[in-house]
Amino acid sequence: MKTRCTTLSATLIVVAALLSGSCIAKDNGREAALRSAEIARFQANVDADGAALDQLLDAGLEYSHSNGKLDGKGSFIASIKDGSLDYKSMEPTIQSLRLFGDVGVIRGQVRVSVVLDGKSHEIIIAYSDVWLWKDGRWQMTEWRSTRLPDAPAK
Amino acid sequence: MKILVPLVTMLLVPIAQAAGRGDEAAARAAIQARFDAALKADAAALDRLLADDLDYCSFLGTCETKAKYIGDVKSGLLKYQSIVSTTDSVKLFADTAVALGSLKVKATRDGQLRELHVAWSAVLAWRDGRWQMTTWTSTTIDPKAK
Repeated sequence: MKTRCTTLSATLIVVAALLSGSCIAKDNGREAALRSAEIARFQANVDADGAALDQLLDAGLEYSHSNGKLDGKGSFIASIKDGSLDYKSMEPTIQSLRLFGDVGVIRGQVRVSVVLDGKSHEIIIAYSDVWLWKDGRWQMTEWRSTRLPDAPAK
Repeated sequence: MKILVPLVTMLLVPIAQAAGRGDEAAARAAIQARFDAALKADAAALDRLLADDLDYCSFLGTCETKAKYIGDVKSGLLKYQSIVSTTDSVKLFADTAVALGSLKVKATRDGQLRELHVAWSAVLAWRDGRWQMTTWTSTTIDPKAK
């Protein structure tokens, strides 16, 4: 009986270790995927790539611009595609990336060159965004940014 | 057999905890409790409501740890005079809640009075049987923005 219990215990420990290791490996893979998705999203903004943005943005997106204006997924992609929001360049620096299960939270800064309604802006913003792991990929569901007070203004 | 008890417990406890996940109402209550605690400079309440790995980013784009934020509130370096907050949405994803809202706040930092209207976002994690705020970011609202 004792031998059977010991064997069972050892089996449980191995299973627990494997599950734990599997979770760590999964998180590492997802973290790398999230970092890639974040970079791809900035590039899709600059490229005005509506199809890529459709893949990278969650249907429930709440996109709060640094001026407080709020966009949903549809209105954000539309403004990118029609050129009313024309990102010339975005140079992001990811400062932290954390995973909470199927939720990823990123914080960073980005230097932005953008033409908004025909007016050029060169700004640096601090941002945080929230991503969801859905349908086998990361999708951004929330964006919030604040313009840094010492950013050069035009 | 004795060795099996802690092992089975180890495997079952997370399942039992998952069954007792926090809901939206509790998340909303935790958010409001955080504002109330900040207003009262209640460090003990803030300690319960804020996660140890809190990333607290103000409208200035600067970020603080839990210890720094509570320390500033406790010492009076950051002193809230009024907080009127609205929670616009709370989305739940298993043990994580993502909340959006806005608030009007009157506070002094380093003796300098600020009156702000900010939009905020918060991420809360369900840990130890309660919601704990792990991320806070805010941005000032431009009244001219449409």
